[in-house]
Amino acid sequence: MDLEEAYDKIYRYVYFRMKNQAIAEDITQETFLRFIGKKGNIHVYDMRYLYTIARNLCIDEYRRPKAEALPEDYDSSMQTSDLPEERMAVRDALAKLSPEDQEILLLRHVNNEPVGTVCKALGISRFALYRRLKSAEDSFRSSLEVETDEK
Amino acid sequence: MNLTVDRITKQYKNKLAVDRISFRLSEGVTGLLGANGAGKTTLMRMMSGILEPTSGEIAVDGIPVQSEEYRALLGYLPQDFGYYPEFSAREFVLYIAALKGIEKKKARKKTEELLEVVGLSEVAGKKIRTFSGGMKQRVGIAQALVNDPKILILDEPTAGLDPKERVRFRNLIAEIGKDTIVLFSTHIVSDIEHIANNVLMMKEGQLIHEGAWSEDKGDLEKFYMEEFE
Amino acid sequence: MKNEWKDMLNDAFYAPEAVKKKEFLRSIRQREMSSFEMIWQQAAYIRIHVWIFAVMIIAFAVFGAATGLGSTQHIIAMIMPFTASFSVIEAQRSKWCGMTELEMATRFSLRSVVLARMTILGAVTFVVLCVISPVISVAFDQGAVLTAVRILIPYLVTMIISLEAERSVIGRKTGYCPLMIAAVVSVFIYWMAGFETRMLLRYLDILESWGILIALGLLALTFAEQWKTINNVEAFA
Repeated sequence: MDLEEAYDKIYRYVYFRMKNQAIAEDITQETFLRFIGKKGNIHVYDMRYLYTIARNLCIDEYRRPKAEALPEDYDSSMQTSDLPEERMAVRDALAKLSPEDQEILLLRHVNNEPVGTVCKALGISRFALYRRLKSAEDSFRSSLEVETDEK
Repeated sequence: MNLTVDRITKQYKNKLAVDRISFRLSEGVTGLLGANGAGKTTLMRMMSGILEPTSGEIAVDGIPVQSEEYRALLGYLPQDFGYYPEFSAREFVLYIAALKGIEKKKARKKTEELLEVVGLSEVAGKKIRTFSGGMKQRVGIAQALVNDPKILILDEPTAGLDPKERVRFRNLIAEIGKDTIVLFSTHIVSDIEHIANNVLMMKEGQLIHEGAWSEDKGDLEKFYMEEFE
Repeated sequence: MKNEWKDMLNDAFYAPEAVKKKEFLRSIRQREMSSFEMIWQQAAYIRIHVWIFAVMIIAFAVFGAATGLGSTQHIIAMIMPFTASFSVIEAQRSKWCGMTELEMATRFSLRSVVLARMTILGAVTFVVLCVISPVISVAFDQGAVLTAVRILIPYLVTMIISLEAERSVIGRKTGYCPLMIAAVVSVFIYWMAGFETRMLLRYLDILESWGILIALGLLALTFAEQWKTINNVEAFA
C-alpha cells in the first residue's frame, strides 16, 4: 500500500469524525507528522498506529474550546437532498446508527482494514470486534430496510 | 516552508554554547554573523540533525529535525569536512547523492550539472586531494545541493574561496535562495550584505539581532565591528 | 449482495476532496531507493584490498589443501583476526576520513552507512568461511564444524575486542587499534601452535565438545557489540 492510500484512509476516517474538510485535513497531516516525529521516518508506517494518533487528535479537537461557531463552515454534503433517493436512504440509515457502529463499519468495510488493525485502532479485543461488527451490520441492514420502505 | 527553532539550548559540561535561541526562517537567504566561538557552528550542527540539543525543538513545517524526512529536505556543508582519499570530485558528489537516496541516473545527471555550476567540470575526474582549498570547498557546495534541498545550511562556505569565486558563489546562493531556506554563517559582513534578506547575529551563545538589516539601522559592517571587535 | 451494500457504504462515507494532499505528500517524500539498493551501493565503496584479502584466504586454503600443507589451518586461524580488524576499520572509515558530519546529514544517515558496511563485511566473511571450511575439512579429514569453529573463534574474538576498543577513548585517537589487537590474537595462536602443544591439544579438546556453543556465544557477543557501535556512531559530539 502506498502512502497516498494511507493518507486517503486516515483523511476519510478523520472527516467522518470531524465533518469539516479543513479541520480533517489538518488533523490528517498532523497525524503523519506525529508518526514521523516518533519513528523518525514514514518509510515503514503502521496503519494501526496512525489510526490511534488520528483518533486521539480528534478527541483533543473536540475538547478544544471553539473560537468560531462550527456550524457555519460545517460541511453540508452529508445532508444534500438532491441525491438519488436510494443513496439518500443509505445515508439516512447510516445516520441512525450510533457513532461507534458507524466507526466500525467505516474502518472495516470502507477502509477495508484487517481485523487486527481495527481492534488496535479502537482498543478492543477481537471477540468484542466481531460482536460489535455483527450488530452494526445488522442494525444498518434493518435501518436500511425501514428507510427504503418509507421512501 | 517554515523552519522553526524553538528555545534551543546546547550545554557542554559547564559551558552554554547555545543559550535558548528561538527564531523562524522561511524561503530566502539568512546570514548568520558572529565571532569565532559565538556558537554558530553548534547551532548549525543542531539544525542539521548532527548534534542533539540539550533542550528545545527544531522542525520544518512540523517535520522534526531528527527524522529522515527532514534530512531528505536538507543540504549541509560543514565548516570542515574530509573525503575518502581515493575519491575524485565526481565520485564524491555521487557518493553523497547515493546516501541521499537519489536514484542513480538522476544522481549522475544532477552531479554533472552541479559540477558545471561550481566550475569544476573540467577537473571532475581528478582526485580531491590534488585540489586547492577553494576547489575543495566548491565540491562541498555541490554535494550540499545534489538533492535539491529545501533547507540549505552552509557553515562558513566562503572560507578558502578567492574573490572571484566569492562573487560567483554569492550569485549562486542568491539564486537558490529564491525558493529555498538558506542559512549561511560567515564572519565577513560583505558576504551577506547584498544577498541576505535576513540577518541573525550571535554573541556568546545568544541571539543579539534578528531580522532584515535596513539602511536606517546604519552600516551593518560598522555595527558588527562595534559588537565583535 | 455483500458487494452492493459495501458500495453503498462507500458512497455514504463520502469525504470531500483533500486539497493539500499532493503538496503534503511531496514534503514527506518517499525514498527513491530501497534499503537493499543502499547496501548494494555501499558494497561498491568497500576498498579493493578487503575483497583481495578474502580471495587470498580462499586461494591459500585451496592451495594448502591441494599440497597437503599440515599447518594450513593454523595459518588461516592466524590470518582471520586481520580480516576482522580490516572489517572494523573499513566500517569506521567515515571517522578517519572526516566524513561523519556529511554522512550524518544525509537521508540514510551515518548509522545506516555503518550498518550497511558491517552487513556486507560480515557476509564476505561468512562466504569465505563457507568455502574454506569444507575444503580444509575434506583435505585433512576433520569435521567441517570443528574446522569452521577453529577459524571463526579468533575472528570473533578480535571483532569483539576491536569494537569495544573503537568506542573507547584510545580507539577514538588511534586508527589502527584493531590491527594491533589482531596481531596479539594472531601471535597467541602462533605461540600456542608452535610451543605449547599441550595447551593446543587441550584447546582442541574443548572445541571438540564445546566449540559450537562457544562460537555461538561469541557470535551473540559480536552482534551485541555491533549494535552498541551502531547506536554510538552518531553520538560522538
